[in-house]
Formats: sequence, C-alpha cells, structure tokens
Amino acid sequence: MNRMRYHVLHRTQYRYAWPVSDSRQLLHLTPRDTPTQRTVSHRIDIDPEPVERARRTDYFGNVLEQLSIGSAHDTLTVTAESVVDLTPSRAAGATRSPAWEHVRDRLHQVGPAPLLDPCQYLYASPHIEPLAALARYARLDFRRERPLFDATLALMRRIHRDFEFDPQATTVSTPLETLLRQRRGVCQDFAHFMIGCLRSLGLPARYVSGYLLTQPPPGQPRMVGADASHAWVSVFCPGLGWVDMDPTNCMQPGDQHITVAWGRDFSDVTPMRGVILGGGEHAVEVQVTVTPEHEAPPAPRPGPAQPLERG
Amino acid sequence: MARSLLQHYPHATTRYDELLSAPGTLRPHWAALFDAFESASRVQMQDRLASVRRQIRENGVTYNVYADPRGVERPWELDLLPLVIAADEWAQISSAVAQRAELLNRILADVYGPQQMLVEGLLPPALIHGHAGFLRPCHGLKVPGGIHLHLYAADLARSPDGGWWVLADRTQAPSGAGYSLENRLVISRVFSEQFRDLHVEHLAGFFATLRDTLAQHAPEGDGPPLTVLLTPGPYNETYFEHAYLARYLGFPLVEGSDLLVRDGKVWLKHLSGLRRVHAIVRRLDDDFCDPLELRADSALGVPGLLDAARRGQVLIANALGSNLLESGALLGFLPRLCERLLGEPLAMPSLATWWCGEEAALEDAIAKLDHLVIKPAFPQLRIESVFGADLDRRERAALIARMRARPHHYVAQELVQLAQAPVWDDSGPAPRLGARTVGLRVFACAGPEGYRVMPGGLARVAPEAQARVIAMQRGGASKDTWVLTDGAVDTFSLLRRTVGPSELVRAGSNLSSRMVENLFWFGRYCERCDNAARLLRAAIARHIESDDSGESVLIRLCRTTGQLAPVGDDDPGGALCDAALARDGALSALLHQLSAVAFSLRERMSIDNWRVISRLVETAGREPEVSPGAALEHLDRCVQAMMTLSGFALDGMTRDQGWRFLSMGRRIERLQFMCTALRHALAAGGEAPDWLLELADSTITYRSRYMTRPQWLPVLDLLVSDETNPRSIAYQALGLSDYLARLAAQFGAIDAGTLPDAVAELLALRPEQDLHTGSERLANLLDRLASAAYALSEQLGLRFFSHADPRWASGADLP
Repeated sequence: MNRMRYHVLHRTQYRYAWPVSDSRQLLHLTPRDTPTQRTVSHRIDIDPEPVERARRTDYFGNVLEQLSIGSAHDTLTVTAESVVDLTPSRAAGATRSPAWEHVRDRLHQVGPAPLLDPCQYLYASPHIEPLAALARYARLDFRRERPLFDATLALMRRIHRDFEFDPQATTVSTPLETLLRQRRGVCQDFAHFMIGCLRSLGLPARYVSGYLLTQPPPGQPRMVGADASHAWVSVFCPGLGWVDMDPTNCMQPGDQHITVAWGRDFSDVTPMRGVILGGGEHAVEVQVTVTPEHEAPPAPRPGPAQPLERG
Repeated sequence: MARSLLQHYPHATTRYDELLSAPGTLRPHWAALFDAFESASRVQMQDRLASVRRQIRENGVTYNVYADPRGVERPWELDLLPLVIAADEWAQISSAVAQRAELLNRILADVYGPQQMLVEGLLPPALIHGHAGFLRPCHGLKVPGGIHLHLYAADLARSPDGGWWVLADRTQAPSGAGYSLENRLVISRVFSEQFRDLHVEHLAGFFATLRDTLAQHAPEGDGPPLTVLLTPGPYNETYFEHAYLARYLGFPLVEGSDLLVRDGKVWLKHLSGLRRVHAIVRRLDDDFCDPLELRADSALGVPGLLDAARRGQVLIANALGSNLLESGALLGFLPRLCERLLGEPLAMPSLATWWCGEEAALEDAIAKLDHLVIKPAFPQLRIESVFGADLDRRERAALIARMRARPHHYVAQELVQLAQAPVWDDSGPAPRLGARTVGLRVFACAGPEGYRVMPGGLARVAPEAQARVIAMQRGGASKDTWVLTDGAVDTFSLLRRTVGPSELVRAGSNLSSRMVENLFWFGRYCERCDNAARLLRAAIARHIESDDSGESVLIRLCRTTGQLAPVGDDDPGGALCDAALARDGALSALLHQLSAVAFSLRERMSIDNWRVISRLVETAGREPEVSPGAALEHLDRCVQAMMTLSGFALDGMTRDQGWRFLSMGRRIERLQFMCTALRHALAAGGEAPDWLLELADSTITYRSRYMTRPQWLPVLDLLVSDETNPRSIAYQALGLSDYLARLAAQFGAIDAGTLPDAVAELLALRPEQDLHTGSERLANLLDRLASAAYALSEQLGLRFFSHADPRWASGADLP
C-alpha cells in the first residue's frame, strides 16, 4: 500500500476584550500513532510563552499537552504543526463480522470480560445519552442476525442521507434528541448521533477527532485556513477491531483521514479546553490546513464524486 | 413497675422495635435511661425539650433545604431521646463498617489503578464505565498513603429479625459527622447524669484520628502544614456542618475562590500573600472540584486542582473520583469482592439492588415493580426514589416509560421493613412517647491501624410513624446515638488538646482574604445597624414630643441615610415606626444583611455573638402592633445588642488582622455617619440639638463636663475634635490612620487617598474660629472626610479582597 505523507497546520487564536491574567489550557493537538499512522515530526508553539508546560498521556492514550500562562495577555495563539505518514490497509470489507446481537450480548455478559477495551465505549457520556428513540431509528438497519459491519455501514449511509450538513443549526451542546428531530448539523453532530444510535443498541462506539485532507477543486490553489478539525466514528467489530466510519462524508476513512485523538465523545478530546481569569468577551479563530508533503499527480481512486464535507 | 410512658407507645408487629422486645418489656440496655424518663415529670421532659430547641436555635444549627418556604435555613430537627445501642451489638456493627470501609477503599484503588477486578470479572464494566462518577482524568493518580477514603459513612437499617443491613454507602464527602457531634453536645447536656452513669462512648477520639491521619499523609514543604475544609458555600444544605467541623478540627473553612494552583501546588489566598495548602477536606462534589479537567461549568472548584493531586502535591479527602462507589448497583457484587480482596466474608449484608442499564435487570425490575423501590443510579441525577407499590396505574405507566427511555438512570432496590425507635412527641395536646421509623448513619475514618468507627452516629427518624424513607430533605429529624460500653470511657477531648510551640506561632493567623472581607463588612453592618437604630430612636422620640408637623432635621437625616424614603410621607411618625418595626422596614433589612454577613462568618464567630444576632433577627418584624412605644422598645433592644456585639469585638477578639479589618469597617461607617449627621445639624443652624449628642452616645460625657444644655462650641469639640471620645470624628480618623500604618508595615504602602490630608486639616482646626455653625472650613472638612472614608473602603476592597490589584495577583509573596 502506498505511503502518504501529510503536513498539518492547526492554528487557534483567541482574542480577548480585556487582559487575561491567568490561563490554563489542555490541548489535544498531537496526532497519535496507530497501526496505519505514524507521526514524523510535531511541534506546538504557544504565544505568549507559558510559565508551565507539560505533556502526558490521557486516560484514552491520547497525547495531552497542559499549559499555564501567568502573565497578562489579550491574545493567545496556539500553533500545532505535524508531519504524519499514513499507510492505510485495504478498507475493511464486509467479510465475516458476527451478528450484531452476538456482539452486544458478548460485551454485556457479567463475568470475566476479555473485551474490556470496547466495554468503555458502551455507555452514556457527557454529550451522548443512549435513548430508546435512537435505538428505534437504528433498528431499521439493525435487523435480526445482520452482521455488525453491514448494519453499521447501512446506518452510516442512512444518517448521511437523512441529515443535512448545516453549520448554523447546532452548538456544541445540542442534545441528540434535538438532532433526531431537526436532522441537521456539523461533523461533530453526525458523529455524536451515530455513536448514540450504536450505544443505544448496546454496541461500543467511540469518537475520533482529527483532520481531513484539504481537497481543492481541480485547477485552484489550496485554500489556506479554510478548514476546521474533523470528527468521525469508530465501531468495534470482533475480528476486525475498531473500524472507522465517517457519516459526514459517507465513507470509510482511508488515506485522507488523520487521527489526532479518540474518546467517548467530543468532551474527551476537545482540541483546546481551558479556564481563564478575566478576558471578558472573546473571539476565536481556527485555521486548519492539510497538504500532501510530496506533491504528486492525484491518482484516480474510488470515493465520493463531490468534495468531502468538513467540520 | 407501671410503665405509664408506654401507654400510648405503638406496638410494632411487623418490624423491629429498638425499645421493646415484647409488649411492655424493655430491652435491657434501655432500662436505665427509660427509668430516668419515667421518673421525670412531663414538665421536666418538656423543659428538656425546650432546652434542646433553644440550644439548636441559638447555636444556629441549620440544615438548608432548597425548596423550603421558610427560606434557606431551617433549624436542625433533633429528637429529645437518644438511640441507645448495647456494647456487644455495637462491636459487631463497628467491625462490619470498618471492614466495609477497607473493602471500598481497596475497590477504589483497583478501579483507579490496575482494574484487576474488571479483568477477573468480579466487577462488571458497566458499573465503572457506565457510571457518571468514574472520573477518567483521575485514573492512575496515586493518592497519599493509598487512602482514597478518609471519611466514609454507611446508611444502616435494621430488619424485623433484628439484623443490620447496609442501605447505601457514602464515599464522596459524607455529611452528618458534624451534626452527630452537635447532637451529642446538646443531648448530653440535657441528660448529663444519665450520660455519665451509663458509660456512653465519647466521639472526640474519632475526630482526632481523622485529623492525625490527614496530617500524617499530607505532603510537606513551603511552610507549616495546613489543612483546609473546602465548602461549596453557605447555600449548601449542610453548610452549618462545614463551618462547625472546620472550627472543631481547627481547619480554615475555604471556598474554591480562596484557593489557587501555582507550580502544581495549592495555595490559600491569604491576607499576607499565598500560603501552601497540604491537605483539603472537601465537601464539594467530585466533578465540581476542577473546572479545567472535570465539569467545565463549575464555578465552585479550583482550576488545576486535579493536576496538583496528580503530582502528589496535595492530599484531597476523600480522593477525587470516590463518588463512583455511591452507586447502589455495586452492592450486589460486594460479597465476592470482599472474599477476593480481603479474604474474608462480608460481615454485613446489603440490600439487593440492580442497575437497570442492563436490559435483563430492567425487565425484571418492571415485572416486580410492586416489591421494589426505584432509585437514581448515580448521585448526580436528581431523581426522587419511588416505591412501586405507591403508584396508581397512570403513574406506574409513566415511571416505566421513563425507565425504558433512560434505563441507565435507575437502580431497583428491594424493600426492607425499617425498625422503629421511641421519640418524644409533643405535637399532640399531651406530650408522649411515640415511635418513628429509624435509620442509622455510621462513620469510619482512616487510622494508623485500619479504619476506626465513630462510636455513635447520626440516627435519623422519619417525619411519619410508618415512613419507609428517611431523608432530612423530606423533613425528617435526627437523634443522638449512645453507644454503651462496659469498660472505661475515653474522655479525650479535641477541644482541650495540648498545643505545641509551632502551633502557637500560627494561632489566629490563618485568615483567608474572603474571611477578612466578611469581617470588614461585619464591622460596617454592625455600625450601620447601630446608627440606624439610634437615629430612628431619636427621631421617633422627638416626633412624639413635638407637635411640629413640618420636616425636622432628624427626618431629613433619616431620608439621607436611607431609613426613610427620599421623598416625604404625609405621616412621618407612621413611616418612622414602620422603618423601625416593619418586616420590610429599613432596620429589618439592615439586620438581615448583618445576619447574612455573620452567617458567612459562622466559623469565626463565637456562639454568644451568634446568639445576639439570631435573637435580634428573630424579633425583627415580628411585633404584633406598630406603635411608637413598641418601636422605641425594639430600638432599645437593638442598640443594646449592638453594644454587646461591639463589646465582644473589643473584649473577645484577638488583635489580629481580621480584627483590624473589622474595626476599620466600623470606623469607616461611623466616620461617614457622623460627618453626615453633623453636616445636617450644622446646616439647620439654630441651637445645638441634644439629639446630636444622643446619636453619638455622648450625652453623659457632655453633662458630666459642662452641666449645661447643649451649646455648639462644646458639642463640636466633643464630637469633632476630642480624640478621647470614641464617637468623635477625630477618634475615627486617627484610628483609621493608625490601622493603615500597621497594615502598611506588614503589607507595604497603601494608597490612603485624601485621608492623610483631611486628618492634617482636622488636627489644624482651631476651636475659637472653626467650631461654629457658620464655619465653611468645618463643613468642607466634614465632606472631605466622608468621601475619603468612601474611597478608602473601595481601595481596601481592591487591594485585599478582590485580588484585582495586579501586585497582589502576581504572587510576589511566593516563598
């Protein structure tokens, strides 16, 4: 399989109406290594210079950078730059995955549980509440004895069909019940909704935060900073392991998705989260640019005809 | 023997009775105490009850009920009769609770560590990963001494066969230990002979162990060891207890905003800078403790606290994340966990409980709903417990629909027929011995040789005779619990412990900035109440005497200072009486403000101080009729009470910085008031009014010096220039200058604004030229002093209370 090398630039800038005297931030901006992804180089620049800065691994194995700025400032800029290699394996096929009920029952058994890792992603989390209504929505695809992989793929397709991408429709805290009703939102909502459906059926699903290759229309230069971070879903299939699905773009992530972190939902992997003293009103500006490190004529490859949707 | 008290005592047929083993037959361990009840007359018993209620009220023991129409504070309900437990029975309870504390501590250590119990299948992943209280950022965090639970409580109930069961575990920040202590002080006082003769176990040793274990395991460095008690604030339902325990244990009571994290360590914002905090006893829920890593919307927590704990720089008791074990769903798994972790059988059984998040359990619970109580699965959910059998068809269907929609929010628990205990019931026409459903909360703390159990506990009784739930939020009452012993009683007292030399150095100096601010405002409100009462008293007395219907200077002064509305009434006499007496009158409002500030100072304030205030607030606005006579009487009481408070401050407080701020508050307020009063009097001209001397409490001094009616020159000399008169302008202004100099000596220069100039001007006044009604110099000076006082108050706030001053916030005092 071809190796793809990408350069990722992720810049976040906060501008405050009043000086901030104390600021503490937690950053999930460092791509994690996976069987198909390796970080070649990575750095995070912070302006103003923090008085304290430390890097550690969080509960989910993501890299977490914590910092604190003690001097008064009215602008905070965090720039993360990464070079990442992707060596995607062939997209997992619909080969043999077990019936979804089997997976559910296996994970819910009381007793020695060899599948402890997926068990962490079975239950409610701050942004995702399992609901009977979500299970009803998902049941149309999760028919009796259907292989888990097939059913999940079908669910992803239906969500993509039923939902409209609309950056104005939601906020970070729009509940799933509302999403089910209005069926519009951004990538985070698509992901939360799909995870909610799977967990409501008793199946493990996690939230993946990352980036998507900026794919310009032919003949135009890449738009710097036009993008944002992306989010998708990973579902656990015995035999296959964690299988990624991107309901926003109706595809299985392959060589265009760069993984930064995963957790139960957005709240576990928020790119930047913090507490400040002072500041008043603030404006935030985020720029994300993902470019192939070695320019080569794009090889024809299967995928959606229209540009991928982001956010 | 005739058991006349038992005449109306309800016989228990289907449940255990703590008092009787059969109708008319006392259990042996009750005999001695019961004889004392029998031999006492009903009048004596009622006197004892009255004494209990008076102590509760005057000590300000409260329990805040969010939805209580009586306002935020409700007096603590304490039954006259203690619950008595025999020595041998207690030995069993005690070892079972100690075992359980040890077990739960081990489970926490495993869940937040290797998770071996999950691997072995002894703990279903659902109970951890499905629990809102499992705090992932706390995983892998090493707690000092391996102690997650420093204080643990178990809610126990007794089944009809006399066996004890655990209904629930309190692992996060158990409440009730402080109330138990308070109950003990009150009840042991009204039954002092019986308490001594029966060999009742004392409680103090337990608290000493709690304190010593914290001290032993807390990290060290950056100054003397400091443990604080972190409270969510005065509106929390058990705030009284926070303040009470803090005072009893000698820990500063702090709120989240009093603390900050710097260099991975926790510091207390202190008047003199930052002070390293080594241990925190928290009464704040887990997820509210750190808005950075836990609930982002928490304004109560301390950003970075979790990371300080992660770095081992602070001990938090109980450890963050211990809320996890408060889920009833865990109860069913404890027997096997106990065998595995402790190698012994679980000593006390728990009521069977199932988590409905598992589909099979949900269907089972719905099928057996009539025999179950449905409870919230996690303490974070504010769901009321419901008895399946109580529901009609519609309610039942609604509950089932809710459970099906969100099964993970519910647990189902078996029913148990709770025991009954005797209570002193004076609700009917004749006081008598009644019976109420009873439950017992028992406490354990970590000690050098494992967990130590408090010999006693918080017995709680339901408001109705046959109730199945006991909850203080639902209007239940409490009881003292007497554990009898065959041996000698340990009479150790925490209040009389010996003090080492290092503690002497620290005495009285642990003042948080918030505390100092409250003291400052306490001083201001005391003085403001005093001024208002004296002013209203003078105005009402003059109004009765004179037929003059026009607006007197005093009425105008009342308007300026806010006792009366700014624009005139037809009947100033009536308005004055209303201002003094009415529930919504100006004085009543001030007294309530004073009481609110005093409330936030409870842990600093002596009980006598509090009594004065609570009596006053209680009578405010409660007069049956509004008349000048009643108003004057109330105002007299008010003035006396303020003099008493001022006496306490003068005589009962050490001269630390807190006292200095309280005094500055007083003097600033008095300076402003006297300047305003003098300006009004001077502007009116005419003869020197005698009320001016009255307002300044200087009538007697004046008479003893001059033996004449008031004249301007001697009056102004006494009230403006005389530095020895504690009510004079000069006394206030010079005192403030002196305090400022002392503060500056400790904290560096303070911007005193125009005060120094005004003081110089004051000292330069010449009696013959300046002390008369027409003196412009005097009038200007009074205005300047009043505004200097105002500016000083603002400046103190910026510099010492709000930390808005960048020099303060920069932490220049960091060691």
